[in-house]
Amino acid sequence: MMGNKLRHPLSKYLLEDRLPHSWCPGCGIGIALGSILRAIDKKVKEGAIDYNKLVLVTGIGCSARAAFYVRFDSAHTIHGRAIPFASGVKLANPSLTVLVFGGDGDIAGIGGNHLIHAARRNMDLLVFMITNFVYAMTGGQVAPTTPTGLYTTTTPKGNPERPLNAIKLVASQNPNYVARASATHPALIEQYTYKALNMEGFRFIEIISMCPEVFGRHIGFNDPVTLYKTLKSKSIVKDKPSLDESDYDWNHGWILGEYVLRRNPGYLTTLRRYEG
Amino acid sequence: MRKEFLAAGRGGQGILLLGHVLGHAVAKYTKFYVTVTESYDAETRGGDSKIDFIIADKPEELDYFKVRNSDVALFMYPEQLVKYERLVKDNAIVFIDNYFIKEVRANRKWLIKEAPYTQIAEEKIGTHVVANMIALGHIIKVTKLVPVEAIIKSIKEVVRKKWIYIDIKAFQKGLTL
Amino acid sequence: MRTEFITTNIAIAEGAIMAGMKFYAGYPITPASDLFEYLAERLPQAGGLTVQFEDEIASINAVIGASWAGAKSMTATSGPGFSLMVEGLGFAIITETPLVVVDIMRAGPSTGVPTKATQSDVYQVRFAPHGIYSIPVLIPWSAQEGFDLAIRAFNIAEALRTPVIILSDAVLAHAWEKVRIKDLTEIKVIDREMPQLKNKNSWLNQKSDLVPPMKVFGRGYGAKVESLIHDERGWYIPNNETYRKLVWRLVRKIEDKARFLWDSVTYLTEDSDYLVYAYGSVARPAYAAVKELRKESIRIGLFRPRTLWPFDYFNLKKASMKVKKVFVVENNEGKIFREVQRHLRGKEVIPLPLIDLEVPPPEDIVDSIREWL
Ligand SMILES: Cc1ncc(C[n+]2csc(CCOP(=O)(O)OP(=O)(O)O)c2C)c(N)n1
Repeated sequence: MMGNKLRHPLSKYLLEDRLPHSWCPGCGIGIALGSILRAIDKKVKEGAIDYNKLVLVTGIGCSARAAFYVRFDSAHTIHGRAIPFASGVKLANPSLTVLVFGGDGDIAGIGGNHLIHAARRNMDLLVFMITNFVYAMTGGQVAPTTPTGLYTTTTPKGNPERPLNAIKLVASQNPNYVARASATHPALIEQYTYKALNMEGFRFIEIISMCPEVFGRHIGFNDPVTLYKTLKSKSIVKDKPSLDESDYDWNHGWILGEYVLRRNPGYLTTLRRYEG
Repeated sequence: MRKEFLAAGRGGQGILLLGHVLGHAVAKYTKFYVTVTESYDAETRGGDSKIDFIIADKPEELDYFKVRNSDVALFMYPEQLVKYERLVKDNAIVFIDNYFIKEVRANRKWLIKEAPYTQIAEEKIGTHVVANMIALGHIIKVTKLVPVEAIIKSIKEVVRKKWIYIDIKAFQKGLTL
Repeated sequence: MRTEFITTNIAIAEGAIMAGMKFYAGYPITPASDLFEYLAERLPQAGGLTVQFEDEIASINAVIGASWAGAKSMTATSGPGFSLMVEGLGFAIITETPLVVVDIMRAGPSTGVPTKATQSDVYQVRFAPHGIYSIPVLIPWSAQEGFDLAIRAFNIAEALRTPVIILSDAVLAHAWEKVRIKDLTEIKVIDREMPQLKNKNSWLNQKSDLVPPMKVFGRGYGAKVESLIHDERGWYIPNNETYRKLVWRLVRKIEDKARFLWDSVTYLTEDSDYLVYAYGSVARPAYAAVKELRKESIRIGLFRPRTLWPFDYFNLKKASMKVKKVFVVENNEGKIFREVQRHLRGKEVIPLPLIDLEVPPPEDIVDSIREWL
C-alpha cells in the first residue's frame, strides 16, 4: 500500500491512512495506545492472540478517538457506554479479545455505574482508563478525577470536590486485575497490558496521562515538557502497593503498580458452570 | 359464535388458575380461539380476582378483551357477585359457591347452578384450595364447553406437579355435582 | 406447527427465538419483566443467552455490541426504560445495527401507571432519538401477531440493517390467547449480508447501495463502528457531502422500502360511508364498535395498520377514497390523528381520543362516533 516508503513499526495495527492523529502535541494518549499495541503485538507474535479476533471499544472523548486509528475491528460508541457495548460483544462471541479504552470522564464519570457492575461480574474485558484529570475533548471541565483545589473551566475558583480513586472503586468489586500506570512510564503500560491480555475476568489499568492543552496550560504549565516532568515526579512506582496507598492528591502524587492480581474464573467461565 | 365467561372471587380462591386451565384446554384441544385477561389486586390480600374469558370460532370475533355480557359466570364470593353481576346477561348460566354466597339478590333471570364448592373441597378432597377445580368440573358438566379429557390434559400441562393428581381428583368430583 | 396458549409477551419471545435471536439484554420493568423471565428460561435451550444489566442504557448498548459480534439481539422495556434507551437507539441507527426493541406501552408520562395501558408512546418510538433518520415500528393487536411480527421485525432489521421497534401495550402483554407457533419450514428467516472478504473495503460493489453489508467483528474486516457522521469506511468526515449522503441513506433505506414495510388490514370497508382508523389493542374494541354500528345499518369499516411507521398513507388513502368521514380512535390525546389528517387533506378527519387505562370499551367508541354521524 505504501510501497517502499518507511512504515510505522506498528503499521500492522495502525491505520496509517488516518494519521496524523488528532491528539495535541505533548498529549499522553498516543504514548498509552502505542504501549498497548506493542504488548498486543508481542502476544500476536507469540500466537497467544489472534489478530483478527481483536476488538477495541471506546466511548467518546479525546481518549476514545483511539478507535479511529487501529486497523483491526473497533467501535467508537457513545459517551460512557463502551463497557456495556463491549460486554455485549464478548458475550455474543467469546472467542474475541475485547479491549475498552477511554477517558476518566467516559469510564468513571458518566460510565461509572457500568464500570462498577462489569467489575462485579468479573466480565471478561480489559479496560484502560486514561486519567488526564480533566474533560479534555469538551475543553477542560472538571472531571471526577480532578485533584482538589485545581482550576478547571467549570470550577474557576478551584475544584472543591475530592477526586475519585478508581483503583479502590474497581478493586472493591474483586475483579481479577487492577493496576495503575502512567504515560510517563510507557514500559509499565506495556508490561501490565502484556500480563493482563491473556487473563480472564475483569482487568482494569488506569493510565495517568498528560493533557498539556486544557489541563496543563489552565493550571499554569505553559509548555508540555513541564507538565510531563511534573507528572513524572508525582508518579512513584511500587511493587505490590496496598489499596490504601492508591489514594492520591496533587501534592503527594500517586503510586503506580499492580494493586490486585488474582485468577478467579471470569464471567463466561462462571456462566458455563451455571448453564451446565 | 362468540361466548363470554366471567369468573370472580377473592384472591387465593384459584380463579386465575381456573382461567388458565380452561384457556389452555380450549386453545390446545379445540378448534376455538380464546382470549383470557386477568385482573387482581396486587396490594390487598383477599382482594378481587377476576378473569375475562372470551371464546369464538374466528379470531376476529375476539374483538374486545373484556366480558360485557357474559353467557356463563362463576362467583366464588359475595363481594364480587355484587360488584360484577352487571356484566352477566339475562338467561346466563351462573355458578355459585353457596358455601360463601348465601343469597343471590341480583334481580335477573339467571339459570343458577349452585354447590358449596369450598366445603366439598375441604371435606371430600381435604383442602379448600381446590374449590376452583370442583367448580370447573361443575361448569364443564353443565356447559360441555370442552371435552372432559381436554381439561385433564390441560391440568397435567399447566398445574405444578405436586398438585396435578389432587386437582384432577377435585375436577372429577365437580363432574358429579 | 404447534398451538400454545400464551400471552403476547411470550408470543413475542417465541417469535424472536424462531427468527434466530441469540442474545437478550434487559432490565426489569412492568409490564415487560415477564417477557425477560420467560426468555431467561427458554433462550438458553435455544442456544442463546440472556443477561440482566445494571440499567436500560447498558442493556441497549450490550444488544448493539452483541449484534456487531454476529448475534441477532433484542431487548424489551416500557416507557421509562425506553426513555433511557433513546441515546443508544440513535447510536444503533447511525451504526446501522440490526436489532429489535420491544416497547410495551404503559400509562405515562413518567412512572405513570405501571400496570395499565395507553397508547401514549406512538411518537416517542419514532422520533425520540435526535437527528435525521427513519425507523420501522410494528404494532400487533393480538398474541398471534406478537409472534408473527417478532419474526418480521427481525427480518426487517437484518435486511435493512436497522433497529426495529415492536410496540405492544400492557393489556396485550398479559392477554392469554391461542397462538399458532409455526415451524422454521413455514417461515422465512432473513440474515444480514456480510461483505465478500476479497473486496472487503468496497461495499459499494455490493447489491444495494442503500444497505451496505455488515462488517461483523472477528472476521478480518477491520470494521469501524462509528457514532460520528462517517463515510462508507466508517471514517469521521464532518462535511456536508458526507453528512447528507449518510442521513439521506438512513432515511431512504427505510422510506424507499415503505411499500414492503406497510402492512395494513381493512374490515368491512367495501361499501363504507365511514372509516375508523385504529391500531394495536384499541383496534379490537374499535372493530367491535364497527360491528355494533353495522347492526344499525350504518355503513362503517375499520382500517388497522400493523406497521405504524413508516406511516401507511397509501393504503389509507385507498381505503378512505369514498368515505365521508374518518374517525381516528386512539388511547391518547389524539396523536396519530395529526398524521392521518395530514395525509387525508380535504377529508373530514375526526379525532376520538379516548384515554382509558383499561382500553376504551366498544360502547364508548360507539357513543363517540354516533355524535358525529
Ligand atoms: C451524553 C453526552 N454528554 C456529553 C457529551 C460531551 N462530551 C464529549 S467527550 C466528554 C468528556 C470527555 O472527557 P473524558 O471522558 O475524560 O475524555 P478525554 O477527552 O479527557 O480523553 C463530554 C462530556 C457527550 N458526547 N455525550
